[in-house]
Amino acid sequence: MIAPYHLEREQKSAQLLDKLNDLTKWHIEKCSDYKAMLEKSGSVEQANSLEEVPYLPVQLFKLLDLKSISQEDVVKVLTSSGTTGQQVSKIYLDKETSVSQTKTLVEVMKPLLGSKRLPMIILDTKSVLKDRKSFSARGAGILGFSNFGRKHFYALNDDMSLDVEGLQAYLKEFAGQKILLFGFTFMIWQYVYKEAVSHGLGIDFGDSILIHGGGWKKLKDEAVDSLTFNRLLHEQLGIREVHNYYGMVEQVGSIFVECSMGHLHTPSYADVIIRNPITFEPVAYGEQGLIQVLSELPKSYPGHSLLTEDLGTIHGEDNCPCGWKGKYFSVAGRIPKAELRGCSDTFQGGTK
Amino acid sequence: MMKLFWPKNIEIEVAIEQLSSNQPNQPFDQEVEAFTQSLSKRFLRMRELPEVVALGYWLRKANIKEMQTAFEQGTVQKIIRSRGTVFHIAPSNVDTIFVYSWMLSLLAGNRNVIRISSKEQNGLNVLLQIIIEELARTEFQKIAKQTIICTYGHEENTTAVLSAACQTRVIWGGDETISSIREIPLAPLANELAFPDRFSLAVLNSDVLSKLDEVQLDSLLEQFYNDVFWFDQMACSSPRLIAWCGDNQQAVNRFWKAFAQKIQQKQYELMAATQVLKYTTTLMLATESNVENLKNGTYFSRVTLSNVPVDVRERHCGGGLFYEYNVDKLEELADVLIDKDQTIAYFGFKREELESLVEAISTRGIDRIVPIGKALDFNGVWDGQSFLTSFTREVVII
Repeated sequence: MIAPYHLEREQKSAQLLDKLNDLTKWHIEKCSDYKAMLEKSGSVEQANSLEEVPYLPVQLFKLLDLKSISQEDVVKVLTSSGTTGQQVSKIYLDKETSVSQTKTLVEVMKPLLGSKRLPMIILDTKSVLKDRKSFSARGAGILGFSNFGRKHFYALNDDMSLDVEGLQAYLKEFAGQKILLFGFTFMIWQYVYKEAVSHGLGIDFGDSILIHGGGWKKLKDEAVDSLTFNRLLHEQLGIREVHNYYGMVEQVGSIFVECSMGHLHTPSYADVIIRNPITFEPVAYGEQGLIQVLSELPKSYPGHSLLTEDLGTIHGEDNCPCGWKGKYFSVAGRIPKAELRGCSDTFQGGTK
Repeated sequence: MMKLFWPKNIEIEVAIEQLSSNQPNQPFDQEVEAFTQSLSKRFLRMRELPEVVALGYWLRKANIKEMQTAFEQGTVQKIIRSRGTVFHIAPSNVDTIFVYSWMLSLLAGNRNVIRISSKEQNGLNVLLQIIIEELARTEFQKIAKQTIICTYGHEENTTAVLSAACQTRVIWGGDETISSIREIPLAPLANELAFPDRFSLAVLNSDVLSKLDEVQLDSLLEQFYNDVFWFDQMACSSPRLIAWCGDNQQAVNRFWKAFAQKIQQKQYELMAATQVLKYTTTLMLATESNVENLKNGTYFSRVTLSNVPVDVRERHCGGGLFYEYNVDKLEELADVLIDKDQTIAYFGFKREELESLVEAISTRGIDRIVPIGKALDFNGVWDGQSFLTSFTREVVII
């Protein structure tokens, strides 16, 4: 069996539950805000099942600075991507959590990428990495995945234009070798694929494997789903193997990557639960609902159990034809925004 | 983008000029009264839009006559004239509010310019359609010439032009909107009515509540449901804080349990985003020292407070979130009331008790005290001021 997709239900949930219970206890001790939330809402501290583990909504990290370490121990602050004016999540990492994040990412990707570092093309600009202490979701993703590659090449110039010459030189240099491609779904679509189409660029990425994530929201507006995306990328750029992943900056360790069958899988140290969007009760496999993510990694901040605003469906557990164990699922997108009518802003929607 | 709903096919500048050239009316003009009756009849038929029906009910003949009588009694031997042109800036949420504001101004005798929200709204289009149809009728020609209904984005210039052309400006909207519009000067003689963000509450006597039988409780809950959910608990006067007086905890539990059933029975549409928002808001509130405990239920969430600080009011998200606060005596409620607090919907108190409460309030807070079920009822006196008074002026002859 291939770690970390080797554990079957019983063993995995028992192990994970112990660790999550320990984390709940730890955060109660170390984070007074978390303690207040659990105590005042009468949540269980010692859960008897994964479903019972208390969960915080992801948005809470946009509203509060939640951490279980002292300020001196913060080595990294991750921030969620957000359009200007929106509040962003702030995720505080200490050395320990940061190291385990890096390690876990390696383990999650190993079954797809092997342990040898591949020549790597990052389908983004280098400028997103400018600030080394505070990372946007994009920066953090790039930095994390960079560990899998060598000879990193950034395919986009600072103005988001495609560095065609540089790219072709790179591909020539590594012709015949397996190349790792990494980027964000929308960036790849907008600045690589569309550019290639409009300029009639016949780039052949050869024997490459693309890992991408970041969500489908903008592509959905253009009616591009994952199958179309994969097909078009193959046709235009010759990319043969494409794996999407699902994850969020608010929960380190939760990187759910697509297997060879195109299903997102839960590794042994993370899990998903689908809940009814109205009652928050867990729903049966096959039923769509809100995605709750669980991870044994977040120790520096109380993010080990989070309720997202994403809708998803678990398709099965331990029986995916790809051979990996664990739950496998798909993500359908964000829940629609609430439009409660407030006694405010006559000029709502107008620009100042 | 400027869009003129009335008059049609004309530039706004020309429309303003035409409007100003028409004489205003005497208060309670006959054509105006006929117009209100005509609208009332049509609104009352809009069964699927309860807030429009409520507006139609408010415009019914008996109510207008009652207003007229009260107005005339208060102005005996006085010479009252309209102010001229009233510019109404309507909010984006409560679709019907611009009609109340406009009707009162019309009854006072004024010409009116109404800027409705540029945001698309379901109920509004139907409402607007009816109004335009009525304005187009020959018997309402005079009113038609005294009315402009428009919408535009954030074009300050239009607001400036209209502000300079009016004798009264009415701003319905949030605090931010009010302060940004107030930067735009009014004509020197003009007055202004502003209706900012407010916060409202309900107060219930649990001892009296405990004496209700099932039927009585159900009818109270029906009223309470309307107060809370008609505007998703987002109107200024929707109760958000529930103050409990008395110490019958059993009655309180019974109330909430039956209320959950009521909401279920009403098939109030719960939305995922609102559920998550309520959950997020309550947990965020849990980090405040004034929050004692919280209960997240499917139909609503309850947060028990030991005090009611200003910022807790600001964090309220609507959609079925109740702050709860206990007082031994009604008067003690006065201690936590601030300027922003507008309406108290009550159950189980005598008028004298309510009067003592008002006396005990030392802030600007509380402008309306109404039985549960009437929280959203519009009244010619709002936020402490009478529209008919503000929309008219008195000429003194000595």
